[in-house]
Amino acid sequence: MERESNSCTCRLFLTLFVLLAINFFLPRMMPGDPFSTTSADEAGEEIIVMTEEQRLYYMHYYGLDNPLPEQFLMYMHNLIKGDLGRSIYYKMPVKEVIKLHLPWTMLIVVGASLISTSLGVGLGTLSAKNRKKGRDRILMSFLIAFAEIPSFLLGLILLLIFSVYLRLFPLAGALTPFADYSGPAKQLLDILYHAFLPVLTLSLAQLTGVYLLTRNTLITVTTKDYIRTAKAKGLGEKLVWNRHALRNALLPVVTRTGFMIGIMMGGVVLVETVFAYPGIGLTLRSAVVARDYPLIQGILLVIAISILLCNLLVDKIYGKLDPRVVI
Amino acid sequence: MMKGIDTFGKANEIEAFGKAGIFSFIRALNHTIIFNKIITKISNFKLVSVSGLFSKFEKIAKFFSSFSLEGKIGVLGLFCIFSLAIFAPLLTTYPPQKITGNSLEPPGPEHILGTDELGMDIWAQICYGARMSLTIGLAVAFIAGFGGGALGILAGYKGGYIDQGLMRIIDIIMALPSFPLLIVISAFLGPSILNVVLILVLFSWAKPARIARSQTLSLKQNPYILAAKNYGAKPFYLLRRHIFPEVLPVLFVLVIGISSHAIIAETGLAFLGLGDPTSKSWGMMLNHATGFRSIYFTPYWKWWLLPPLFMLIFLLLSLAFISRDMESILDPKLKLKKGF
Repeated sequence: MERESNSCTCRLFLTLFVLLAINFFLPRMMPGDPFSTTSADEAGEEIIVMTEEQRLYYMHYYGLDNPLPEQFLMYMHNLIKGDLGRSIYYKMPVKEVIKLHLPWTMLIVVGASLISTSLGVGLGTLSAKNRKKGRDRILMSFLIAFAEIPSFLLGLILLLIFSVYLRLFPLAGALTPFADYSGPAKQLLDILYHAFLPVLTLSLAQLTGVYLLTRNTLITVTTKDYIRTAKAKGLGEKLVWNRHALRNALLPVVTRTGFMIGIMMGGVVLVETVFAYPGIGLTLRSAVVARDYPLIQGILLVIAISILLCNLLVDKIYGKLDPRVVI
Repeated sequence: MMKGIDTFGKANEIEAFGKAGIFSFIRALNHTIIFNKIITKISNFKLVSVSGLFSKFEKIAKFFSSFSLEGKIGVLGLFCIFSLAIFAPLLTTYPPQKITGNSLEPPGPEHILGTDELGMDIWAQICYGARMSLTIGLAVAFIAGFGGGALGILAGYKGGYIDQGLMRIIDIIMALPSFPLLIVISAFLGPSILNVVLILVLFSWAKPARIARSQTLSLKQNPYILAAKNYGAKPFYLLRRHIFPEVLPVLFVLVIGISSHAIIAETGLAFLGLGDPTSKSWGMMLNHATGFRSIYFTPYWKWWLLPPLFMLIFLLLSLAFISRDMESILDPKLKLKKGF
């Protein structure tokens, strides 16, 4: 048992190492370098063209002219110290850039996972109670068809319907620009108002998984003997469902929520681009466009580590929740 | 096609009932055998090759009729998109990459779906874009599905270090966050169709390899394979004759899944501006349209943004319906497990 657990952690570290290696070597092999594309997307902004001399100076300044192995060692060394380097595009430490944008991503990812989990469990229970009846069938085929639409296309549709056509929600951003809030409540309201559509998109995209899982586990659980015993004891319908059935059926949902956060961290790049939501996804995109190596590395690392951590955490929590499972 | 088979079936049935007794008994035993017998009887007078053709038709029709309603819709939808892609030059009057009208013309008799900001015909872009999506989807799915499958079979059959090594690699690939890495790698390799296909293959061969391996491991223990081995069958013969045909159906379902993933990933990359800039894929169209300044404040999105969006969703839903049906045909137990 102990060895199995160790091998899991070991694999995690191996994956992390491979990721770090890819993370380090890839951006350095990209065509172009950060100093030949120091320009801006916005028209009207001045495009700076550097002379060869200036370019070499900056290459040296950022340590990009050292041999690769040396750079890699430096990178690992700095990483352990928690230093992710300096963003070339934003001209400030990568850590600061990520710190600036990560909360927005966390907000929509955590919000979406909460909503899709609770909604999925609710709908799944509803479906399992009305199994093989009309309501179950309709809900099921509707949600299954829904699950096949990738989140960013779904986001685009929602944006077109709610923001463009109905003009109910904002088109972009996380806050109203230049807003002067009279109090923290107003500000919170504004944040929620802007986060609504991205959160809705992400949670709708993940809803079906939770729904199907809850429904199917509930259906399996209700055929178990102890449910019959509980019913035979004369316990009420509600008590049997909530205390006996649902409680056990929720175990796999916990795992699912953990993985879901991982999937969402991957998909959030596109969703944030659709809604121009200033999280790390949008930042990653602009970093790729600007060939900002340190920032790309930092963001990839943050996304990857959060995914791996989620998976590890899920394994550990599941072992605690369900003693039958040997990790 | 379906109608023809049906009337044949009817005739077959009537004949069987007419002769009663032994005939219906045989019919109960196996429908296809008797059907083929009748066909061969007919073809004794006509062409022999008709028999093969008809039984093939019947096979396809039978397979098709075992699909659910959703699956049939999916097959039809996919068929439509395929014909859109294949007959694109016939269906369109304008080339997709040429300026053939004023910019941002609304849909009208000249341009069925209007034009984009450069004055290119959007209907033509949709038709030629179907080629792009399907090519990438199919190429990735076949290379990753069958290449990964072959690797998995080999690893499962050989065992030992090869197996161990491959499994470790698969573990790592499956644990990597694929989409963020895809973005970075495709930015590094430069935007071209070939690169996009290569990267997608790199990230999608692991699953079919793993499944093919586990299938091979369980197949390897079957008595008939052990018997064949004892009779002196060479490994290559065993793989080709016994193991590969058994694993093939599973791989086929996986191929459909992979192709839809590949299409999504390609669209996503193109949407972010990391696709081939010279190509007109649906994702590229989305990218251009959403990149157009203040498109949401103008009516342009109605004919510029909606068509590729709907086509993509249509294609993905069709693929999903087909793959779900294939799964349930392949493994009826799965259907129960998933609770359909």
